[in-house]
Amino acid sequence: MTMMSETYRMLTRRSACQAVAGLAAAVAAGPALAADKVVKVGLDLSFTGADATDAIRMANGGILAFEEANQRQEVPGITFKIEKYDDGTATAGQYDPAQAATNARRMVADRAVIAAIGPQMSGAGKAMSPILSAGDLATISPAATNPDITDPKFAAQYRPAGRAVFFRTVATDAYQGPNMANYLARTLKVASVYVLDDSGAYGVGLADAFQLQAGKIGMRVLGRDRLDPKAADYGAVLTRIRSLEPQALYFGGVAQAGVKLAKQGYEIIPTVIKAGGDGMQSAGLLSGAGFPAVEGWYATIAAPHVTDDPKLADFARRYHDRFNMQPDDYAVTCHAAARVIIEAVKDLLAHQQEVTRAAVREAIQNANIQDSLIGPIAFDGNGDLRNRIISVFQIRRDTTKPIDSPEQYRYVGVAPQS
Amino acid sequence: MTPADVFVQQAINGLSLGAMYALLALGFTLVYGILELINFSHFNLFMVGSFIALGTLQQFGLSGQDTILLGLPLAGVLLAAFAVTMLATGAIGVGIERFLLRPLRDVKGPAAMITTIGASTILFNVVLLTAGADPKNFPNPLPPLTFAIGGAVLRLREVLIWVVSVLLMLALTFFVQRSRLGKAMRATAQDPEAARMMGVEVDRVIMTAFFLGSALAGAGGLIFGLYYNFTSFIIGFNAGLRAFTAAVLGGIGNVPGAMLGGVIIGLVEAFCGQLIGTAWTDVVIFSILVLVLVVRPAGLLGRVAPNRS
Amino acid sequence: MLVAPAQRRRLGLLALVLFLLVFPFVHDNDADIDSMANAAAYATLALGLNIVVGFAGLLDLGYAAFFAIGAYFYGVFSSFQVMPLWSDGWVSLAVLGLVEKINQGGPDLVHFTLSFWLALPCAALVAAGFGVLFGAPTLRLRGDYLAIVTLGFGEIVPIVARNAESVTNGAAGLNGVQAPRLFGWSFGVDATPYYYVGLALVALLIFVSIRLRDSRIGRAWMAIREDEVAASAMGVNLVRFKLLAFATGAAFSGCTGVFYVAKLQTATPEMFGFPVSTMILVMVVLGGMGSVWGVVLGAVLLQLLQSWFLPDLTQWTHALGEWLGNAWLQRVDFAESVELIFGIILVAMMLFRRDGLIPATRQPPALSFEAQHVAGVRRGGFVGLERIGRWENSDWQKSGGNALDVRGLTVRFGGLMALNNVDLSVPAGGVVAVIGPNGSGKSTLFNAITGLVPAQAGSIRFEGAELLGLPPHAILARGVARTFQNIRLFPNLTVLENVLIGRHARLATSAIGAVLRLPFTRREEAAATTRALDIIALFGNRLAPRANQTVSGLSYANRRRVEVARALATSPRLLLLDEPTAGMNPAETLELAEQIKSLHAQGLTILLIEHKLDVVTRLADHVMVLDHGECIAEGRPEEVRRDEAVLSAYLGRAAREAVPRRW
Repeated sequence: MTMMSETYRMLTRRSACQAVAGLAAAVAAGPALAADKVVKVGLDLSFTGADATDAIRMANGGILAFEEANQRQEVPGITFKIEKYDDGTATAGQYDPAQAATNARRMVADRAVIAAIGPQMSGAGKAMSPILSAGDLATISPAATNPDITDPKFAAQYRPAGRAVFFRTVATDAYQGPNMANYLARTLKVASVYVLDDSGAYGVGLADAFQLQAGKIGMRVLGRDRLDPKAADYGAVLTRIRSLEPQALYFGGVAQAGVKLAKQGYEIIPTVIKAGGDGMQSAGLLSGAGFPAVEGWYATIAAPHVTDDPKLADFARRYHDRFNMQPDDYAVTCHAAARVIIEAVKDLLAHQQEVTRAAVREAIQNANIQDSLIGPIAFDGNGDLRNRIISVFQIRRDTTKPIDSPEQYRYVGVAPQS
Repeated sequence: MTPADVFVQQAINGLSLGAMYALLALGFTLVYGILELINFSHFNLFMVGSFIALGTLQQFGLSGQDTILLGLPLAGVLLAAFAVTMLATGAIGVGIERFLLRPLRDVKGPAAMITTIGASTILFNVVLLTAGADPKNFPNPLPPLTFAIGGAVLRLREVLIWVVSVLLMLALTFFVQRSRLGKAMRATAQDPEAARMMGVEVDRVIMTAFFLGSALAGAGGLIFGLYYNFTSFIIGFNAGLRAFTAAVLGGIGNVPGAMLGGVIIGLVEAFCGQLIGTAWTDVVIFSILVLVLVVRPAGLLGRVAPNRS
Repeated sequence: MLVAPAQRRRLGLLALVLFLLVFPFVHDNDADIDSMANAAAYATLALGLNIVVGFAGLLDLGYAAFFAIGAYFYGVFSSFQVMPLWSDGWVSLAVLGLVEKINQGGPDLVHFTLSFWLALPCAALVAAGFGVLFGAPTLRLRGDYLAIVTLGFGEIVPIVARNAESVTNGAAGLNGVQAPRLFGWSFGVDATPYYYVGLALVALLIFVSIRLRDSRIGRAWMAIREDEVAASAMGVNLVRFKLLAFATGAAFSGCTGVFYVAKLQTATPEMFGFPVSTMILVMVVLGGMGSVWGVVLGAVLLQLLQSWFLPDLTQWTHALGEWLGNAWLQRVDFAESVELIFGIILVAMMLFRRDGLIPATRQPPALSFEAQHVAGVRRGGFVGLERIGRWENSDWQKSGGNALDVRGLTVRFGGLMALNNVDLSVPAGGVVAVIGPNGSGKSTLFNAITGLVPAQAGSIRFEGAELLGLPPHAILARGVARTFQNIRLFPNLTVLENVLIGRHARLATSAIGAVLRLPFTRREEAAATTRALDIIALFGNRLAPRANQTVSGLSYANRRRVEVARALATSPRLLLLDEPTAGMNPAETLELAEQIKSLHAQGLTILLIEHKLDVVTRLADHVMVLDHGECIAEGRPEEVRRDEAVLSAYLGRAAREAVPRRW
C-alpha cells in the first residue's frame, strides 16, 4: 500500500472518529438549541475535606434548579451551565481561603460566568468577597453564616467597589446563635447554660453570638470551653460540666467534634438539654453518633423550615428521583439561590436588557420573589436576606426511616427574635 | 458532685486515657528500642487498625449500639476481631519495614524518618479517600455496666481497658526478657553488628519487632473503637502525639516506662481539662515533651547511655 | 552550535527570566497569575527550609510556624484587629506613618498601618528571633528528637493563634488586612503586582541562599550536617551556627508570611498546620536537599501539580467518563488525592533518588590516567612545604614553657575509669607519642584535650592557658588541631571543601558579609582557597588532581591525607594525630612518617598516637605508655620498648619471656 493511501486511510479514520464523537456530544447535550446562549454560573463549595458530603447534597439542590430550568426552556434562548469549583484542599482538610481566592479569580476571569453560588464556609467567603467585588460578580451563598462579610463596618474590606456582591439565602450567625438563646430561655425555660465551641471559625463565631445574647437576657453562662475536633476524649471537659450542673449545653461547631460530644455527652450528662447550630444538622452526625446518643439534641438552621411543607414534598421527590438521596434544608437554600439567579436573568430579558454581570448583580439586588421554597426572598443593601428566620429542630428517632435521614430531625418551631 | 467526686472522676478519666496512650506507646517504644527510629506511621497504623476492626465487627452483623453480647458469643467475636485486626496491621507493618525501611537501614541522616512520614501520610490519605471524613459509628457489644464510687462513675469498659493494657504489657515484658527471640531483640537493639556476628538473624528480628509493634497498634485501634464507639481518619494524629510524649516521658525503649508515661500524660490531660480548659491541653503536653527532651532525654525510667566516642 | 555548558545555562536562565517578566502580559488570566504568585511563595518557603534541612541538616518538621508568625505579624500591625487607646505617645509613630488615629464612635483609637515594605524585613527579624527561641532547646538533641521538638512548636503556634483571640481574632481569622501600597497606589485584588513582588522575593532569596552556600557560613552548615563532632573539632561553633541556620530559615519564612497574607488579605490558623510543613518538606525532598535551584523547582512542580495538572487530569477523566459512560470516572477527583501523592513522593524519593531532582553535589567526571599523574610523585615528604611557612609560636617557645601540660587528668564514663590521674608534658616544638594496647584510653586522652569529652578532674594547659571546660571550637581557635582514629571527614563535600573548613576559625566573614561579598570577604576567601590548595599540594599528585572530588570516593590512604590536610589548614601550633598510619601499607606509612617529620622540622609540636613502633621510634622524642587509663611507662623510645611493664601489657607475661631481644 502506498504512503499516500495509508495517510488517506488514517485521515478518513480520524475524521470518522471525530464525526462520531461530535454526534455523540450533540446527542448528549440535550435539547439545547444551537441558537441558545450559554450562561455560566459558578458553584463554589467545599467538595474536598470534612464538609464534602454536605457540599454534594447542597450542590445537587442548585443543579436540580438549573437542569429543570433548562429542560422546560424557562428562560427563552438561554441555557444555564454550572461550573463547579472546589475550595477545599486535601492539605487543609477542609476549605482553604487561598484556594477560594483562586477560584474567585477564575470565575472573574471567565467572561461567560454571570453569577455564582457559594461558598459554603464563611472563611472562604472572606477571601472571595473582595475579588468578586472588584469583578462585579455577584454570588449567593446558601450556607455561609458569618456576619462579618456583609457587615457594613467591614465594607471597605469585603466590597471595595462599594456595591453588595455577597448575597445569602440564609440568615447569619448574628441571628442563629442569639435566637437559639432566646428559644432556650423563653420556650424551654432554661436558666443556666454551658457553652462549647469546636475551635473552628464557624463554631467560635456562633458560640460567641449565643453567649453574648445569653448574658443579655439573664441566662447564666456557667462556663465556656473549646473542643479539639481531632481529639477523641472529651471526658475531662464533660466531667467539669457535670460538676457545674447547668440545665443546658450549647455547642457551636460541626459534626467532627459533634459526634464525639453527642456520644460522650449522652453518657456523662444525660439529663442536660443539649443544643447546637446548623453544624449539628447533619447526616454525618446521625450516622456517626447513632442512637440513643443523639436523641433529644436541638439543632437550628438559619432559614425557614421547609422540607415538611407539602409544597416541598414534590421538590423532595424530584430531588430523590434525580440524585437518589434525601435533600436537607441546605439543598433547599441552594435551590433557592439558583432560582434567584434564574429569575434575575428572566427579568433582564423581559426588560430587553443585556445579560451582563453587572446587570445580573443589579437584578439580584432588586430580587423580590414571593413564592420560593424558603418563603419570600428579598435582600437588603448589604446582601443579607431580609427574612431572618431561625428554625429549631429536635432529633427524635423515627425507626421507620434510615438512621441518617434528615427526617430524624423534627421541626419544633421558630426561634424567637431578639 | 462534690469536689472530691470531681477529683475521683477526673482521675478515672485520666487513668483510662492513660491506659489507651500506654497501649499505643508500647508498640511504638518496641520498634524504637531496636531501630532507634521514630516510626511516624505507627499511629496511623493504629487508625487503620480501628477501621479494619470496624469492618470485621460489621461482618458479624454488629452495628450501632443496638446489639449487646454476653458470654461466649462476646468472647468469640472479640477474639476474632483482635486476631484479624492484629494480623492485618502486623502485616502492613512488616510490609513497611521490608520494602520501605530495610533498603534505608544503612543510610545516615533523616532518610528513614522522612520515609516513615511518607508512609504515615499514605496510610492517612488512603483511609480518608476511601472511607470519607465523617466519624464512623463503632459497634459496642459490651454490656453497659457501671460502678458508682461516691458521686463518680466507673464504667466496665474503663476497667477492661486497664486489664487489657496491663496484660499486654506483662506479656510483652515477659517476651522481651525471657524468650529467645526477645533476647535476640535486645541484643540487636544494643549492637546490631555484634548480634549478627553471634548468629542472630537481624533481619528477622527486626521484622518480628515490627510485626509485634504494629499488631499492638492494631489492637489499640480495636480497643479505641470499643471504648469510644467511634472511629475516624483523624484519630491517629492526636492520640499519637500523646502516646509519643508518654513514651518519651517514661523512657523511650523502656516497656514499663511506656505504661508510667501513659498514666502521667492521661492524668495531665484530664486535670488540665478540669482546671485550665481543654483549649490549652495540647500546649501543656507539648511543653512536657520539649522539657523532657531538653532536660532529661532518657526519660523517667530510661538509663542514660554511656558515651561512646 | 558549540556553546559551552556554562554559557548555555546562563542563556537558559536569561530566557526564563524574560519569560517570567512578560508572563502577565502574554497570559492575561488573573487566576493563573495568582497561582504563579502562590508558587513564588512556596518557592521562598522551600528555600528557607532548604537552609535548615538541606544545608545544616536539621530536620525541622514545624517550619510552618514561622510562616504563621510572619503572617500574623503583618496582619496584626496592618489591620483593625488590635486597637489600643490613643494617647499622645503615639504621635511620633503617626508622624512616621506607622499608625494613625481613628475614631469608630467612642474614644480615639490607634490603627496600625505598618507598611508592607517595612513589614518584610521586620517580620523577618521577628521570625528569626523565634527561630532562635525554638531552635535553642534542640541544640543538643539527636536528629529524630530535634524533628519531634520542632513538630511540637509547629503545632503550638497555630493553637496560640487560635486561642489568643484578642490579638488574632482566633479561628475566624483576621479581617481587613491592608494591601500593599506603592507611591499611594494600593495593590488591591489584582494578582499582577503581587506576582512581581513574589518574583522579586524569590530572586532575592535565591541570591541570598547562593551567597551563603558558597561562603564560610554555608561550609560550616554543611560540615555540621555531615559530621557535627568533626565540625566542632575543626573550629565550627555549633551553637552559633545551628541557631543561625534556624534564624535564617525562619526569616525567609517570615517574609513569605507577610507576602502571602498581604495577597490573601486574611489569615486563619488552619493555614499553618502540620500538612503545610509537610508540603514544604516534600518540595525540598523532591527538588534536592541542599540544592537551591532544586527546591525552587520542587516548589514550582508541586504548585503546577496542585493547581493545573491534577484539576486538568480530573477534567480529562470526566470527559473520558462521559464518553465511555462510566459513572465512577465522571466523579473521580484527583485534586483530593494530592496529599496522598505527597506521601508517595516522599517515599519514592527516599528510596530511589535521595539526592532529589537537581542534586546539590555534582560529581565531576572521574580522573583520566594522565590527570591522576599530573604532579610529580615524590616518595616521602611533602611537595612545596616552603610555601606553607613555619608553625611555631616563637614567643612561647622562647619563654621555654611546654606546649602542652596535662596534670592529673581523670575521665570516667559511668563506672568505667578511662583515664586515671594522667600526667603528660609536650615540649614546644617536640614530638611525643602515646602508645598502649587497645582500650587503654589513648583516644580518650585526645578527646579530653580537644574538649570532646568532659574530664572529672585535672588540668590541661596549652601554652599556659587552661583548656579544660572549653568547647572544642574554642580549643581549635587556640591552636590545637587533631585527626581522628576512624577518619571523620565530611563525606559529601569535596577535598577542597573539607580542607577549607579547616580555615573556618581563621576567617572572620559574618553571614551579612557573606551575602554582601564585600572586598574584605573576597580577599579572605581567595587567601583561604590559596592556602588550602597549597596544603593539598603538599601531598603531591595524591590529592591535588582530586581537589574537586567528593571525599567519599577516595581511597582510604587519601582520606587519611585529607584529614591531615584539614587539620593543617587550621594553622595549628599543636597537632594531635590519632593513629595516622592505621590501615596504610609500609610504603604509605613511610611516606606519611617522613611528612610528619618535615612538619616537625617546620616547628609544629606534635602529639601522636601510634601502634607501629617503628614509626614511633623514628619520630618521637618522648613516649608515654598507657594501660587501663594509667601511665605505666615514660621516656625515650628505646627505653620504653625494653620496659618490662610495657612488654607485659602489650604481649603478656609468657610472651615477654619468649621475645628475643632484637628490636
